[in-house]
Amino acid sequence: MKDKLLETLEFLKSKGADYADIRFTRNESENIQVKNEMVDSIARDINQGFGIRVIADGAWGFAASSSLKASSFRKTANRALQVAKASAITKKQDVRLAETEIYEDHYVTPFEIDPFKVRLDKKINLLLKINKILCKDKRIHMGEGSMAFFKINKIFASTEGSYIEQDLLESGAGFVATALEGGETQKRSYPTSFGGDFGSGGYEIVESMNLLDNAERIREESIALLTAPALPAGEADVIIGSSQMALQVHESCGHPTELDRVLGTEISLAGGSFMTLDQVGKLKYGSDIVNIYADATVPGALGTFGYDDEGTKAQRSAIIRDGLFVGYLTSRETAPVVNERSNGTMRADGWHSIPLIRMTNHNLEPGDAELDDLMADTNGGYLFETNKSWSIDDKRLNFQFGLEIAWKIENGRKGQIYKNPRYTGMTPKFWNSCDAICNKNHWHVWGIPNCGKGEPMQVAHVAHGAAPARFRNIEVGGE
Amino acid sequence: MIGQDKIFATIEKVMASSKGDQTEAVFTGSNSGLTRYANSFVHQNVAVENSKVSFKVVVDQKIGTASCNSFTVTDLRKALRAAFDIAKRQKPNPDFDGLAKPSKYAETETFDQKTAKFTPKQRATKLKRVFSKVAKYDYEMAGAFATEEGEIAVLNSNGVRCYQPYTSASINTIATGENSSGYASGMSKKVDDIDVSGLATVAVKKCRKSRNPKDIKPGTYEVILEPAAIGELFEWMNFIAFGSKAFEEKSSFLADRIGERVMGENISIYDDALDPSSPGIPFDFEGVPKKRVDLVKNGIATGVVHNIISAKRAGIQSTGHGLPPEYSAEGALPANIAMVPGDKTLDELIGEVENGLLVTRFHYINGFLDPRVAMMTGMTRDGLFRIKGGKLRGGVKNLRFTDSMMDVFSNVLGMTSDRSAIPAWGATSSFYLPAMRVGKFKFTGKTDF
Repeated sequence: MKDKLLETLEFLKSKGADYADIRFTRNESENIQVKNEMVDSIARDINQGFGIRVIADGAWGFAASSSLKASSFRKTANRALQVAKASAITKKQDVRLAETEIYEDHYVTPFEIDPFKVRLDKKINLLLKINKILCKDKRIHMGEGSMAFFKINKIFASTEGSYIEQDLLESGAGFVATALEGGETQKRSYPTSFGGDFGSGGYEIVESMNLLDNAERIREESIALLTAPALPAGEADVIIGSSQMALQVHESCGHPTELDRVLGTEISLAGGSFMTLDQVGKLKYGSDIVNIYADATVPGALGTFGYDDEGTKAQRSAIIRDGLFVGYLTSRETAPVVNERSNGTMRADGWHSIPLIRMTNHNLEPGDAELDDLMADTNGGYLFETNKSWSIDDKRLNFQFGLEIAWKIENGRKGQIYKNPRYTGMTPKFWNSCDAICNKNHWHVWGIPNCGKGEPMQVAHVAHGAAPARFRNIEVGGE
Repeated sequence: MIGQDKIFATIEKVMASSKGDQTEAVFTGSNSGLTRYANSFVHQNVAVENSKVSFKVVVDQKIGTASCNSFTVTDLRKALRAAFDIAKRQKPNPDFDGLAKPSKYAETETFDQKTAKFTPKQRATKLKRVFSKVAKYDYEMAGAFATEEGEIAVLNSNGVRCYQPYTSASINTIATGENSSGYASGMSKKVDDIDVSGLATVAVKKCRKSRNPKDIKPGTYEVILEPAAIGELFEWMNFIAFGSKAFEEKSSFLADRIGERVMGENISIYDDALDPSSPGIPFDFEGVPKKRVDLVKNGIATGVVHNIISAKRAGIQSTGHGLPPEYSAEGALPANIAMVPGDKTLDELIGEVENGLLVTRFHYINGFLDPRVAMMTGMTRDGLFRIKGGKLRGGVKNLRFTDSMMDVFSNVLGMTSDRSAIPAWGATSSFYLPAMRVGKFKFTGKTDF
């Protein structure tokens, strides 16, 4: 493969390309789903091919092919050049890339147990055992569980001389109980909703989730929600659980700090950003205790890798420091706009996709609160857990999130349960109302395997470290 | 494009070695190009050639699936073996009683040679004209212009052999100004049907007419929803209501309500891949002929779409809406939804509104709030207008809605006779929708622009 990749780059140079990179990717995946004590589906997929990115006549071109025949490399290279020349018809200025280090390296995700070598029976049986507990009560209309594993081999080579191979491994699992009675339907999920939790590593991630130990509690909570009242509308102090905090960070801080978005190139689908260039170093994004970093080096996190898909080394960058907005997620093309070098966030979701600026591990740093103390200090407020719905405007200001469950905090403990809780707000006002974040004992990096962006749509695997946090006077409802 | 003969011959050769009781193969291949632009220049431009074969192998009612995107016999045989190995370790599915049997499929014209051969240069040249045209105003254009040729084939050990080539062209285009934006979109099987310049003009007009938007209080308003806005609602209703999974899980608002009134009697919603306006193909990914399915007829819940297994559970025949094997856990989903139109023009609908709003499109809708009543939330974007005294009176700042679609579609006061094709989630999917006047629509929040 190395010869084919390097020959293709030489060919592109000979054809006058100003810059080119080629990325071979082989993705292997396994997805197991069980439902109502039955195996619903088991699917395995192998997806491989290569993509060529080229700058010619001062503009970008990209072409990709799943055919690995020798002739396909040159044909696809020519196609990438034609596409670049077509782009150049409309260019306003030549594309310029920030300087970068040249690397020859091989990065491998650390792991203990290769999930693709774990017997299928073992994985199925664990999910079925959980399912049996969920379905023990006839009010559980649907018990579902899933596991998914991804093995990714990537080779990146550029005309600048980088040659980087990466072997990434990702694992995740989760389950959900859906209770139904009298036309009312309610769900509870564990460890979180929409497929569960994910990390970079092997089957040890699934084993560390305590899935079985939580099945009974989740079943009972979903049943309790059937008869729970809807959360009353009004303003309240709210402690938001860490998995929902992860999504809050994702939507209201992750996406709006993608510099390509800020510069307008995502307007056609996802929109722009309120965190414009003039706001850097000025916008008081949150209260003084809010610190958010993009960190692709966190061990075991889903957004962790060795190098991004431009060959920039994984790194940690400040986004929000002591509440102040200080930096963006950048690429080699966009970083010069803010007089910086890329902080390594360009990733594609496969060989067939062009890299875009994507979140890595966009983490809300832990604070110093103990959850028990915070609960005791929030009498009359609510505790919200587990995301159910999400929506935010196209500049990432007005948001509304729905949760699976809320508890009234009574005497420092979980009291009355409420169904269909929702909260809404405007991003800076919301984050400035944050007056407590729990400490590292309550901090967890949540893997989100379904972050959509771009056209054609790409689905990235990203993560967010977060701990439960308290927000004052939040608009809530649930009717 | 590989072509029917080579696809059939290669897959038949591979399937001959299957050790399963029954075997199915789904081939999807495409050659696609997408030109993405913003700030009135092309900033991303991609060309991708890919194909994929998904195998389903059945052993004693146990089903295994595996797929790969290589088309060599060696790799395909590996995928087939993987599907067999999974099937052996599966549990029997009592609802499975066989793969599809050979059928007659409708003949539909889904391929256009010119679209298949449309080049990146041709896309860029059309866009360049638009950029030059709007350069004299203080607007910038953003969007994506895509063309694709592809082919889909389904083969199984019962003798099913289906093949359909297709082409698709689509564009979304946004004009942005200092404090406003406007949107338009188009899709067709033929690139010549896409009026790139005309759609840009619509977007620019919306941007100009909505400049300096005024603040407006959230509340319940009479609204005109344009087809793109309704398409956004249907993307979610498709998933939470009209598919077999949501129906079986009883999370769909149609579940346990078949035969009951769920919307106004002027509302009829159906899925029809065979309608000439649709880019749909005549069979599904299980090799079953596509049928027209009435989802809501004259406001009455009439049914959902099914694949082979969900149909067996429902005691009916598959409606031809099965997904590829690797997505089988999602059940069956509609792909070509349409609404029966009304008899008005858009201007007539606007003229009937004394005090209300016109919504061009929605953004980031979520339908998981309370699917039993199709409760959704989302934002407006790219052209929210005030209507007073039957006339558009300029732009207003964007609002958040939170409302039940059962209520919204029970309050429709009129629809246009014209319908527009709205791009959905794939080259052979679409919505075909009128604009609609709704008596009451709940806006629950607002933003700053």
